[in-house]
Amino acid sequence: MQRIYVHPLPVRIWHWINALGFVAMIITGFQIRYIGLIDLMSFRTAVVVHDWIGFVLIGNFFIWLLFYLFTDKIRVYHPELSPVKHFRASFRQAMFYGYGIFKGEPNPHRVSVYRKFNSMQSMSYQVIMLLLVPIQFWTGVLLWDVKRFSGMIEFLGGVRVVDTAHVLIFIFFSGFIFIHIYLATLGHTRMAHIKSMLTGWEEVEEEHGGK
Amino acid sequence: MHGRRLATLVMVALFGLAGALIVARPDARAADGALAKLVEQCLGCHSVKGLEMALANGDKLTLQVDGEVFAKSVHSRFGCPVCHAGTSLENHPPVKKKIAGSREYSLEMNKICQTCHAPIFELYEGSIHASLFRDGNSYAPVCTDCHSPHAVMAKGAYDTSTGAPCSKCHDPIFKAYAGSVHGQATLGCANCHRAHDVTPATAGDRLKNTCLGCHSDTLASHQKWLPNAKRHFDAVACPACHSPEAKRKVDLRLYDRVAQQRVAEKQGVPQFESWARSADAKGAGLDAMALHSLLREFNREDNRTTLRGRLEVSTGVEAHQLAKSARAIQDCTTCHQQGADPFQSVTVSVVGPDGRPVRYGAQPEVLSSIISVDSVSGFYAIGGTRIKLLDWLLALAVLGGIGVPLGHLTVSWLVRKYAKRIGGKEDS
Repeated sequence: MQRIYVHPLPVRIWHWINALGFVAMIITGFQIRYIGLIDLMSFRTAVVVHDWIGFVLIGNFFIWLLFYLFTDKIRVYHPELSPVKHFRASFRQAMFYGYGIFKGEPNPHRVSVYRKFNSMQSMSYQVIMLLLVPIQFWTGVLLWDVKRFSGMIEFLGGVRVVDTAHVLIFIFFSGFIFIHIYLATLGHTRMAHIKSMLTGWEEVEEEHGGK
Repeated sequence: MHGRRLATLVMVALFGLAGALIVARPDARAADGALAKLVEQCLGCHSVKGLEMALANGDKLTLQVDGEVFAKSVHSRFGCPVCHAGTSLENHPPVKKKIAGSREYSLEMNKICQTCHAPIFELYEGSIHASLFRDGNSYAPVCTDCHSPHAVMAKGAYDTSTGAPCSKCHDPIFKAYAGSVHGQATLGCANCHRAHDVTPATAGDRLKNTCLGCHSDTLASHQKWLPNAKRHFDAVACPACHSPEAKRKVDLRLYDRVAQQRVAEKQGVPQFESWARSADAKGAGLDAMALHSLLREFNREDNRTTLRGRLEVSTGVEAHQLAKSARAIQDCTTCHQQGADPFQSVTVSVVGPDGRPVRYGAQPEVLSSIISVDSVSGFYAIGGTRIKLLDWLLALAVLGGIGVPLGHLTVSWLVRKYAKRIGGKEDS
């Protein structure tokens, strides 16, 4: 096994704050939307906690953004510009998770410092980090103080439109978080990827020819 | 004949003298003396108990004036002729001028009030009372309905113990109000509704601003515990929480987003009700589709009409049952959960020609249908008006999120003996 440093400290800090924050946001989100059905805390407590953690996550997002904007690590997010190559690689990856993995085939994607995401991850994380997360933060801030941002809310079509966008993304993350955690257990051991997100070091198999 | 003409001249001269004395007051004492004498002459007949006359429609017009009460009234210093200037010995008595009925007489005499009280009359003209009168309701209150003309006191017409004169028409509301925190503090109706420019309670922000005028620290005190307090102030009427026993409901108001005001029914062309009726084919109240098509009718020419919701109490009586602040509703779940009572009763409204809302019933589902994203875009209460389709989507997402890993694990377990090893090398 070869050890490569793929998760620098700022990314790890961002990731774990984000992970805990998103779990808390989902739980409080459920509580806010389904009070009466779920009674973990009072409605008001859920709203206040949801608001505060939301602002922490917005600040945390800028750790991620600034780190990648001001380092060459941004290359991990560079999209594959050839759609044919991208979809071929994505198909190979999907085939691996849906079929090859059961046969014990090796993962078609090989991690390197500047290519830590496979094609499916690369596409997903671009959409999540550059579209869904900012929209979720933005709609969250608007809903945090509807009166203060009434002009923008009106421009976007009304409070129900903004709320519906917020809830749709909440729904996505509520499902995605399970898949995300499960995929994190599909390393060469169940804990391999999780450990690497704690230490920064990823263990990858030596390439044939012994690099 | 000659004698009657002379008597008329004497009467006119007396009234003229009285009027002149009122206007020119260099010798007020002398004028007061003459005026008092004149009033005394009038009261000579008009203090007779039971004095009344039959009018053309059979009404009886009371002609008796209580001299003592009149002497205490603010009008006493002007005497009789200021208001009854048209009365002369030519027609009094016997009265030759036909008076159709007592109401007609009140309305006729009411015009005289304007001559001295023009600014107040202008306020009255903007009131719901004047609107009702203009719309043909001859029993809408005019000056003399609230101010007994021969007993107008300086302190105002309102009686805190009986609620008169407001309670003459609004008795059930006064009874509710009398038991409220404001009623017990002996505040009068006009403290909130004003005396002359009374506007419909549900129109505009005036009444809310009146609350905030006295309770000036209200926003700050609410912000301490109520998230989005300003939004609540916009979308929730004060009595919805401060009248804890009231039944609450939602009024979806058609709103002109360009003019930044509620849509008003066009004078003489009642579009709202006819469009609402034709959209509501079953007559069971507007459902989500019907509400959407009603909105489309309003936006046919220019896309500027939207709906804004407001949570309010169901009746005027309930709006007056304000309790002490300690009893106000502070439990968020009163509204913020599915099936909450306030969202079970929904109306759609525009402002009617007289300033009062014209409402049409809607079904509660208009607040939770997916179509509401378009039609009720300006109103949303977390939990209480959540869209059911999104609940199903969430259930699917969570089930999928849990089910896919479980399925994947199950397949891995089932095929384990054929696999060289479980798991690839790449991450999530």
